Amino acid sequence: MELFNIFIKSAFIDNMVLAYFLGMCSYLAVSKTVNTAFGLGLAVIFVLGITMPINWVINEYLLGENGLFQTDLTFLRFILFIAVIASMVQLVEMIIEKVSPALYNSLGIFLPLITVNCAILGGSLFMVSREYNFGESVAFGLGGGFGWFLAIIAIAAIREKIKYSNVPPALRGLGMAFILTGLMGIAFMALMGIDPAVYTGTK
Amino acid sequence: MHSTAYIIKFIVILTGTVALGLTGLREVTKGAADRNEAVFNKKAILKSISSHLQEDMNMKVKDMSDEEVIDIFDSRVKQYVLDMDGNAVDEAAVVAAGHKGGKAENVDMAKEKKKDEADRLLPLFVYEKDGNTFYIISVRGNGLWDEIWGCVALKEDLRTVAGVSFDHKAETPGLGAEIKDNPAFPKTFEGKKIYGDDGTYTSIVVRKGGARDQTFEVDGISGATVTCDGVTEMMQRGVKYYEPYFATIKK
Amino acid sequence: MAETLVQDVEKKGTFEFGKKERKLLTDPLNENNPITVQVLGICSALAVTTLVFPSVVMAIAVVFVCAFANLFTSLLRNAIPKQVRMIVQLVIIASLVTIVELVLKAFNYEVYKQLSVFIGLIITNCIVMGRLEAFAMANKPWQSFLDGVGNGLGYGAILIGVALIREIFGKGTLFAGSPIQMNLIGANNVSTQYWINTAAESGIGTFFSWYSNNNLMVLPAAAMFIIGIMIWWQRSKYPQLVDVS
Repeated sequence: MELFNIFIKSAFIDNMVLAYFLGMCSYLAVSKTVNTAFGLGLAVIFVLGITMPINWVINEYLLGENGLFQTDLTFLRFILFIAVIASMVQLVEMIIEKVSPALYNSLGIFLPLITVNCAILGGSLFMVSREYNFGESVAFGLGGGFGWFLAIIAIAAIREKIKYSNVPPALRGLGMAFILTGLMGIAFMALMGIDPAVYTGTK
Repeated sequence: MHSTAYIIKFIVILTGTVALGLTGLREVTKGAADRNEAVFNKKAILKSISSHLQEDMNMKVKDMSDEEVIDIFDSRVKQYVLDMDGNAVDEAAVVAAGHKGGKAENVDMAKEKKKDEADRLLPLFVYEKDGNTFYIISVRGNGLWDEIWGCVALKEDLRTVAGVSFDHKAETPGLGAEIKDNPAFPKTFEGKKIYGDDGTYTSIVVRKGGARDQTFEVDGISGATVTCDGVTEMMQRGVKYYEPYFATIKK
Repeated sequence: MAETLVQDVEKKGTFEFGKKERKLLTDPLNENNPITVQVLGICSALAVTTLVFPSVVMAIAVVFVCAFANLFTSLLRNAIPKQVRMIVQLVIIASLVTIVELVLKAFNYEVYKQLSVFIGLIITNCIVMGRLEAFAMANKPWQSFLDGVGNGLGYGAILIGVALIREIFGKGTLFAGSPIQMNLIGANNVSTQYWINTAAESGIGTFFSWYSNNNLMVLPAAAMFIIGIMIWWQRSKYPQLVDVS
């Protein structure tokens, strides 16, 4: 139940994109159509879901005082976390290139840029500062990824529909996407502070 | 296309050079960095009584030179390390707990925060000059991105806050980072009480949307709810750790 | 690895600065801006632009990191195996940032404390890695260096522009947190009252005391609106940028 709460909270209430405004670049650039957005969303779920537990293990058993080297190596946290993320993204890139060349081409430079998607490094840092245990970090990773996935699908759907509206030409596309995201962010603020644990009776 | 052997060789050489270079640089700069850090910590402790020092010496803590900070600290501040029952702990035990140097200023609160609550060590600094006594305690909690911490100076009655100073690892500039960057935020803590008139423990609450009770609450920073909640949590929990010690002085 | 390095130095020739090189510097400032056209570096643009001073610090840091990361990647570009290029790029970026961090920590601790907050934001700034992928992996070192400087500047220009609007209307101050902080407008809001006590006591603020700070400007959403409007303005100026799809 605890894990379910973390999942719900990280997907909807603490949504990476709409509440914390993380991982914006690829979110804005790859949300022209629902199809590509779907592909990128899945890639992010995968990367977040898998790097979070790996980084948890690294942080706990390699960097910590009681870890493998018995010294405080936290100054290496950034480099190691990002290296794990980079290798996972590289893996995803190779898989997508093999399985779906069309998606690979439409994602372009934004596929490798998942590496520096701040939602992913941010997720790992949140995990450390919120002192999650292993199970919780898996739930948080999957939940955060799912939240990101939902957000990019939502904006892509809106952008597909808004094509038929009479938007000033210079505002079409990217400009409108920025303003829409701002509005969605404000709407999402209404969910802030809700604690699912209260409703499921675990608190 | 490169062969697997080449890739492995490349990675090994690259990480080797980078790791060696960085570790070397770290070793070279470590002495200077440690000295800077020690002075910075002393300064942070003195900042919590900056209003008093301003009156006393007509000098802002942030304008003091390194030597002046060390001088004031060494001549006027006594430091103790306490356990959770409020008893003083000797230097050897502090060193054994992993804090090189053994003094209160050497206690790494980040390490202490990871221990079980009952086993933690608490640094305490007592500033004394010309009949003015301040008890300066350390608190530590979590902000939005990473840890936040601070020093709380209490007046001799152990009830009134004389001042606070906060710091953080990675809060957002202009929002959460205001707890440190905006000199007026810590200023609002001055004169607040951590105990009610009847002696009940209240500590201090950072209230979103403005303080409701001027005795125990301060105004929140707009746009930085998570960091402000972290400050509240840290003040509520961290100050309470020192209660057993307060009881021993009050007697 | 060593041979390719030497070859590169030989091929590079002189550090010429012709029309093409000038274009590398000026393009990112208008029609190929990293934020409004390439959509890179948005997260940090949202995070640091509540105040002008941190935006300036961030801009300087990004110019530096972007330029040198581009330079080193370009020097190594023929030696980097494609399968591990992202890790290599990130190692370069992260080591550069760590070097700056260590040096500052030893020689200027105050600046280090100011900058330490940005370290995560610089490493995950997609402009740096975006330019490595798109430019430095396929171009000569000198050109890559200029491209890095240009993109850093283009990013900084937008950052400071957004920060000016957000700080003046959201907090009523300018350059708060720096030695030259000043109080511009508004006096009746909780969050400015802090500054009024500490910042210049008799600024222009005395005349605009009726202004109540707009808390919307402090939210990241405001930065989205401002950048959106900037894109609108830029695309009306350069119609070739308009999305046809």
